[in-house]
Amino acid sequence: MNTRSIGFQLTAWYAGVIAVVFLLLGGFMYLGMKHHLEKSLRETQAKRAGVIAETLVARVAQLGEEHVIQEIRESYAPELNSRFIRVTRPDSTVLYVCGVPADLSFDPAKVPVPATAPARAYARVESPPDSESLLIVTGPVPTATGTFRIEVGASLGPLQAVLREWLVTFTLAFPLLLAVAAGGGWFLARRALEPVRKIIHGTEQISSHNLGERLPVPRTGDELERLSTALNQMIARLDEALSHNRRFMADASHELRTPLTILRGELETMLQQTDGAPELQDRLGSVLEEVERLAKIVENLFALSRLDAGEAQAESVQFDLGQLAATTAEQMSLLAEDKQVTLNCLAPRVVSVEGDRARLKQVVVNLLDNAVKYTPPGGSVTLSVVAAPNLGKAVLEVADTGMGIPTGALPHVFERFFRVDKARSRELGGAGIGLSIVKAICSAHGGQVEVASEEGRGARFRVLLPLAETAEETKDKPNAG
Amino acid sequence: MSRPDAVVEHDMRLLLAEDDRKVSDFVARGLRAERFAVDLAFDGQSACEFATSFQYDAIILDLMLPVLNGTEVLKRIRRQHPEVPVLILTAKDDTAAKVENFEAGADDYLTKPFAFAELAVRVKALLRRGPVARSSTLRVADLELDRLTQQVRRGGTRIELTGKEYALLEYLMAHAGRVLSRTMIIEHVWDESFEGLTNIVDVYVRHLRAKVDDPFPTKLIRTVRGVGYSLSECTPV
Repeated sequence: MNTRSIGFQLTAWYAGVIAVVFLLLGGFMYLGMKHHLEKSLRETQAKRAGVIAETLVARVAQLGEEHVIQEIRESYAPELNSRFIRVTRPDSTVLYVCGVPADLSFDPAKVPVPATAPARAYARVESPPDSESLLIVTGPVPTATGTFRIEVGASLGPLQAVLREWLVTFTLAFPLLLAVAAGGGWFLARRALEPVRKIIHGTEQISSHNLGERLPVPRTGDELERLSTALNQMIARLDEALSHNRRFMADASHELRTPLTILRGELETMLQQTDGAPELQDRLGSVLEEVERLAKIVENLFALSRLDAGEAQAESVQFDLGQLAATTAEQMSLLAEDKQVTLNCLAPRVVSVEGDRARLKQVVVNLLDNAVKYTPPGGSVTLSVVAAPNLGKAVLEVADTGMGIPTGALPHVFERFFRVDKARSRELGGAGIGLSIVKAICSAHGGQVEVASEEGRGARFRVLLPLAETAEETKDKPNAG
Repeated sequence: MSRPDAVVEHDMRLLLAEDDRKVSDFVARGLRAERFAVDLAFDGQSACEFATSFQYDAIILDLMLPVLNGTEVLKRIRRQHPEVPVLILTAKDDTAAKVENFEAGADDYLTKPFAFAELAVRVKALLRRGPVARSSTLRVADLELDRLTQQVRRGGTRIELTGKEYALLEYLMAHAGRVLSRTMIIEHVWDESFEGLTNIVDVYVRHLRAKVDDPFPTKLIRTVRGVGYSLSECTPV
């Protein structure tokens, strides 16, 4: 999983925020609950203390101590209800203390007696040894014989048990909640990012050859619709800029043709009229050669601009690339021979491709011409054509044993007017445009061209073209026969 | 200079419809030097008028003409003169336009910038079209090429040539005395894939010379710098 993807980050943030919110909420709930439970326990004790004080202890003189004790025992049954009740006389001697409760949660005898009588009722927590904590409310009870003290309390045990149980439940529920939150976040993020994925996919499909295409725009009215629209507008602007560029190339080459025609025509006429002046003829010839070269460059630029505009496939027929390579190599063999370069052609099988035969032949011619040019006498150039059915590609390779291409120059060899060694290639008659034509033709046919080279150890150009559909059937025929 | 392909009679009349005066000028001059009578039209309207008022032997038509474009002119000419050969000159060479003009009745198509030599050869080819029979033997000085047996002899000695060398020699001999540009040779002997990218013509001419010229005192194949090659009987200075 890509931890830097927006989906992952959104999920992580979502889960993190949910966790913090749950922890805070849990904390507040715990504290609030604890506070509320203690408060209500305290109030209950205080109320009970008030009632006992008012109805019994305050009237101790009239009722008699025995009666008071009797009443408390009967009305409140502290042992059965796990209550703590103690009444202390003004001289700090105990008038009544309850017995050990039925559940043995505490021992009333071990609860210490406060040293002084309180001015007003207050609550305290006593934690006598070997027993549960007690919440005790102590109140003064003024009587004719002095101020009695009434203490009413209850064990904090049940309250603490409730809180503990709540904590356990929360702790168990927390990871589950977190998992649900993360899952939900992941799902939401995926859902929200699905259109983005579509936009990415669509954008990846668009190259300089199909700038006419547009991304699908989700009609959702949200930011993603705006993003797709904005991207489409950008593609449109790119398209316009590129076609402007292409138009410029086409127009420029077009506009250059007429003056070139005139130059050439006039020079040829002059050449004819200067019979008998060899030096002048030679100079005119030299100028004409340059005009010729200029015309070729214009021609190639024009061809390139047409290829760019997607007008490559004047015709689209299915043919045998191997045979095309073999005949082309044959036609160029003298050229190689002339330079004492061995030209080998390995195209043993039928490799069917579909496209413009003349254009693809130009690919072979340009690559072979290039290879022969840069291979010194005694070297060899090998042209091979094979089918790679598992890739669905026809592979045409031209390898030479020439000087090779420096690593730094490799990425640029298909650029227009690029030359590794300007002086040298001009001397060899190159204009630095042949390989860019190769590339343009290959991409116009849905293929590609790549180069591998080590300086001093030759270069290897590889053209990959889609195999024609029926290649499988035709391929086996020569072997069977 | 001997011209085996000189089927040009002195009263052959051509119409040149080209709006660029300079192009028109040198083409007309060149054609007149080849002993053609040339009428000039500088826009589509006048081209139509010329073409319909006179029976030309051939018409050279630029596509980008003012008033009426070349394709339209061609269509109008074809309505009245379905036979006259028309050569289209253009600075555009997209395939669609080419197809459209061939459909409209163009006989040949030449893209600027062209070598005048090529224009001349093409015009003559257009004029030759039809009844003129191809002679089966080409002869320049003591060099002889038999088109039927594909045999080449010089001074009685048989010369063995490869297929391409033969095609090259035949092309040079068929246009003996005329300068042929490398482009023309490539288009004729090879195909346009080789155009401008290789020195293949030079290599083949060198090999051809080694067989045809080197063993003999008189050299027939001449290099015209900046233009191309020519095969003729009289060696120029």
